[in-house]
Amino acid sequence: MKATEFIVEALHEQNVTQVFGYPGGAIMPLYDALFDGGISHLLTRHEQGAVMAAIGYARAGASVGVCIATSGPGATNLVTGLAEAMTDSVPIVAITGQVPSNLIGVDTFQEVDILGMTLSCTKHSFLVEHQDDLPEIMQQAFELAMSGRPGPVLIDIPKDIQLAEMANGATFTAVTNVAEAVVENVFNQQINAARALIEAAKKPVLYVGGGVGMADAVNELRQLNGVLNMPMVSTLKGLGSADADNPYYLGMLGMHGLKAANLAVQESDLLIAIGARFDDRVTGKLDEFAPHAKVIHLDIDACEHHKLRTANVAISTDLKKVLPALAMQLSISDWQQHVTELKATTAFRYDHPGIAIYAPLLLKQLSAALPQDHFVACDVGQHQMWTAQHMTFTRPENLLSSAGFGTMGFGLPAAVGAAMARPEAMPVVVTGDGSIMMNIQELATINRAHLPIKIVLIDNQRLGMVRQWQTLFFEGRLSQTILDDNPDFVALAAACGIQGETIVVKEQVQPAIERMLAHDGAYFLHVQISEIENVWPLVPPGVNNSKMLEAQDYDEY
Amino acid sequence: MTNTKYDLAIQAQSKPEVLERILRVVRHRGFQIQALNMPEMNDCNALKITVTVSGKRPIDMLHKQLDKLFDVQNITCSKHDG
Repeated sequence: MKATEFIVEALHEQNVTQVFGYPGGAIMPLYDALFDGGISHLLTRHEQGAVMAAIGYARAGASVGVCIATSGPGATNLVTGLAEAMTDSVPIVAITGQVPSNLIGVDTFQEVDILGMTLSCTKHSFLVEHQDDLPEIMQQAFELAMSGRPGPVLIDIPKDIQLAEMANGATFTAVTNVAEAVVENVFNQQINAARALIEAAKKPVLYVGGGVGMADAVNELRQLNGVLNMPMVSTLKGLGSADADNPYYLGMLGMHGLKAANLAVQESDLLIAIGARFDDRVTGKLDEFAPHAKVIHLDIDACEHHKLRTANVAISTDLKKVLPALAMQLSISDWQQHVTELKATTAFRYDHPGIAIYAPLLLKQLSAALPQDHFVACDVGQHQMWTAQHMTFTRPENLLSSAGFGTMGFGLPAAVGAAMARPEAMPVVVTGDGSIMMNIQELATINRAHLPIKIVLIDNQRLGMVRQWQTLFFEGRLSQTILDDNPDFVALAAACGIQGETIVVKEQVQPAIERMLAHDGAYFLHVQISEIENVWPLVPPGVNNSKMLEAQDYDEY
Repeated sequence: MTNTKYDLAIQAQSKPEVLERILRVVRHRGFQIQALNMPEMNDCNALKITVTVSGKRPIDMLHKQLDKLFDVQNITCSKHDG
């Protein structure tokens, strides 16, 4: 058996049914094995599309995403996706071809030291030196990608090793994610300390991040807060984890967070961070973030504990075990009443004047029109924040957003992967006119795979988020943010076999959403909005989260 | 805040790139290398690396980040004398 046949067999054994990639010289032996290897392979139109599709596949379907690329430029095109997966903790196994072993280090055609290049953006990486190492490396790669805090793992395989014969009896045993053993007496002490803080708190807040979904602890979280009834806020990646109907759920916090969420956190006397990491987009000015709060920090990665905020209690045990142990009845009715009033008095308004389309309202309408089983992949910028603010998510795997790394171009390929993982779900992309152009070539992949993805392009002919900051903080000097020479997007989609339409006024929105969702196949809804719209609220740089700017402050600013 | 010096004793699997991994984490997490020693070992699968680092950040942060490296098996850390 050749090494490449072994790799394909290992993928089967690991229950990998779908991979994403792009062939080239140094990976041709593996592609030859994939030709009739029985694993579905989707050809993207750029290696960045392949890795981001693998991320979308992993995030939407809660499994490991696998992508394949050739050496040199094929491998370097994966780098942004690997960094994306590293920051947002997505389990990815990336397989790259490498030039033959004896030609490494002599500047061969399409050679790059991809292992060296990706040290900082992989959880671990392997350069295979002998075919007999492959069984162990493949097993370790899947184990590492899935275990603890998930992340990307790279396997770089020289061409001669791909072509080599395996020793007889080489086997691969599928790996499963096994939670680390818990030292019970330490765990019990930590839980008792946490419970004492919760019991003593008068103004506690649950601060929920992406770790909840990744730990498969959404049900545990909802059950916990069914008992605690504690005010709860979410990070961008945590959206969908909370039960959106819970009266004490206040939505996203942070730079573009909801006012009630930010104010409640600033007033709180106890913050319970669950699978969240005190990211700068969450905290604003760090030393004024939740200034009165003690902190319980629950994160599987102990490196996150005390990194940016010192915790009074820090626990790195699996959330599925921790969360049920924190349930108790609380007497915090004054606090509950206070936050529900905050929530009611600071709720978003959608009575935007004029006939022009108001993106927040459109997204609210879109959210209401989606079937129960759906996912929304988005890109990065204003549309991303509006999506987080104005759409409702009932599961974290239903919102695929490049949260920590902020990768423009993420949306289209992530949706491609997610649609392969969840073919029964309504696949939606919300994107902007800046972001979509970064991986526009994946329209051709959508066509190739006949994926019924509904693409909603919010077009303000600007790099809107940068434009907003230039307006607010750079004296309106719109340096390189005007895109009034964008392509004809509907024609571009049509050229890739995707039907679409452009809408410009409010009254067109509801029927267009209905047409799009009823359309059999992919659809491109091009939404023109005014270039002057901003994302509100906004916590300006260098101040704390209680000092949010809102639309009405704008004139004074 | 002034720089503090620490001695790290690291046991790691012998891999061609393991030193790069360690040095990268030390640099990126905000520490400078003051001294470095990696003696030849009889066991060709194991490495012992001693590093003196200095930095303003809590050493515990670096300790945990290095411990997270797959090839690193054990680390001990102490404040540098003198």
